[in-house]
Amino acid sequence: MSWEHTDRPRRGSRAAFPGRLGFLGRMRVVLASMWRKASERYSLIVLVMWILFSLVSRFWTPVPIWTTDGYRIWQAPSRDHLLGTDGTGADILSWLMAGSATNLAISLLAVLLSGVLGLLLVMAMVSRRSGVSQVVVVLVDALISLPTVLLALILAVPLGPSIAVVVVACGFGYGLNLARIVRPQALLAAESDYVQSARHSGVGSFRIFCTHLVPNVIPVLCVQLSMSAGTSVLAEAGLTYLGVGVPSGLPSWGHSLTTSVKFINVFPLTVLWPGLVVTMVVVALNLFGDALRDAIDPVTNPGLRAAVAAAGRSALQPAPQAVSAQLDDSDHLVENAMYAGEGGNDVAKY
Amino acid sequence: MARFLMRRLVLFVLALMGISLLIFLALRILPGDVAAVMAGLDAPPERVDRLRRQMGLDRSYPRQYLDWISDFLKGDLGRSILTNRSIASQVGIRAQITFPLILLGLGVALLLGIPLGCAAALARSPRMQSFSHMAAIVGGSVPALWSGLLLIMLFAKGSGLIGLLPSQGFPTLGWAQPGQALAALILPALSTGIIVGAGIMRYTRSLLGDMLSSGYVDMGMACGMTRTQAALRIGLRLASPQLVSVVGLTMAEMITGVMVSENLFALPGLGSMLITDVGNRDLPAVQSELLLLAAFFLFLGLLVDVTHKLIDPRFRGAARQEVAD
Repeated sequence: MSWEHTDRPRRGSRAAFPGRLGFLGRMRVVLASMWRKASERYSLIVLVMWILFSLVSRFWTPVPIWTTDGYRIWQAPSRDHLLGTDGTGADILSWLMAGSATNLAISLLAVLLSGVLGLLLVMAMVSRRSGVSQVVVVLVDALISLPTVLLALILAVPLGPSIAVVVVACGFGYGLNLARIVRPQALLAAESDYVQSARHSGVGSFRIFCTHLVPNVIPVLCVQLSMSAGTSVLAEAGLTYLGVGVPSGLPSWGHSLTTSVKFINVFPLTVLWPGLVVTMVVVALNLFGDALRDAIDPVTNPGLRAAVAAAGRSALQPAPQAVSAQLDDSDHLVENAMYAGEGGNDVAKY
Repeated sequence: MARFLMRRLVLFVLALMGISLLIFLALRILPGDVAAVMAGLDAPPERVDRLRRQMGLDRSYPRQYLDWISDFLKGDLGRSILTNRSIASQVGIRAQITFPLILLGLGVALLLGIPLGCAAALARSPRMQSFSHMAAIVGGSVPALWSGLLLIMLFAKGSGLIGLLPSQGFPTLGWAQPGQALAALILPALSTGIIVGAGIMRYTRSLLGDMLSSGYVDMGMACGMTRTQAALRIGLRLASPQLVSVVGLTMAEMITGVMVSENLFALPGLGSMLITDVGNRDLPAVQSELLLLAAFFLFLGLLVDVTHKLIDPRFRGAARQEVAD
């Protein structure tokens, strides 16, 4: 029987432990507790609709987006065009739907890039080689004051307006920000007793980072990444208006806003929709981060705490056949007891 | 302090050098021969050659870089290819619009953010708390372009619902007509300031909220201050170093909004100049302006860091103790 830290744990078997609430079960509890509050329900609905609209718009929009009608420009909302038409006679609702796919892609990529970059920087910042960590800390401090638009402009000169410009500029800026905000939490966790004990039993620093530090910063990560997604939607609108964001011809919310700007004094109603969509989505993203942080943390979510405890109880008093099945695999049992028996003396029973 | 300042200064110079290299390289990987494009389709080869020499593109890259940097340090930002005007003088003229706009926008943001943030932190009824929370989130989620448009629709002279303020352009005489110049900047400043103000409100609320549950405010109340007094006199003061950092960083984010409103309100400022030059691929102009912008923001970051250290009473106390030891 060997369960020292130096051994590779069996991946994929954890969810099968009776002492742990599986990922899906956990998600169900989390979503249920988010659904209870009105503001959090709003954010869930808007985000699900965003994803649905961007999927649907790949196959179908009320009017094909390239259909234009020169005789019916700047129309008020009607049955044919639910939100009216723009200056070329194209349907505004269809363009907004098609734009949601572009914006979803930009937000996801920017969040992914900033998350990876931010975690890499944090990994360097909590590194025990003081040379590395000091250099990275001061580097982030120095570069963090550079605005997103500056990087976008630098990239836009050789690349021209493109999605990549928006993604890289946003991802880089938000990644630095993330690293700066996450660092104190990660340092606190790095000083903790369990990290010390893991280190002394010979666990490599990469594994310590993944198994001990990342779970500690997940609450901050939720809030920051969700806010970054919102900011990237705003940045897309701004950069596209300035001509360095999404190229003209590709539908996006920034594009819809930009085309509505012309003739604003003559047809003010067309300005309303794209701005409203952007504002609603960004509000939802901001609420979503806070809601997710509160919902996935057993400390702040009593429902989740109860569900985890129930799962743990059923593990400690298992049905007879479950015990006999478990006895074959003693490794499992010990690790299982370690997970389930937090502070419980029941571990001795096994 | 001196050591911190030295390290931060060295870093400022290094970061600026890194950025300047990045800008230089980004503009050099441009596909195609810039000189040939500038000269036109059927230009004779001599003309292309002359243009190339004039732009310094016939020299080696390290040479071009060093020339550019040494000129830049001497204050010579080069000349625009299109208009052949000195970039430095153009920047000087246009900064007279952009800097007042940034300052006004920041003023709006601070006037909105800090009082509202304090009120939100001090509010006790749950309804008031959730209302201020939502107000901060919604205010921070409005695109600057859209808030500018709504402001035009509401307040623009001539077309708006309540025609009060001019919404397009800047007086030709500039600041010689201070009243008109200021009026031209009010709507743009509001449209950039609102979103930043909402962010500052959010931070003020959470920082002051942390302070309220700390021992400092309890101590003040034990000495006879009311909760509001203690929060504003002690809590706000203790939160001010972090607030300075946040305000400095939000200024960097504000610049996108400033560029958008300069375009939207047709103000001939630095932002619209930069966007035009990027659109025209006016290389000497773009590279000097980008470096200038980067230098400005890196310097701002330096200033914020130093101020943070200077005004934090806890840090000052620690420094004094060090001296005493």
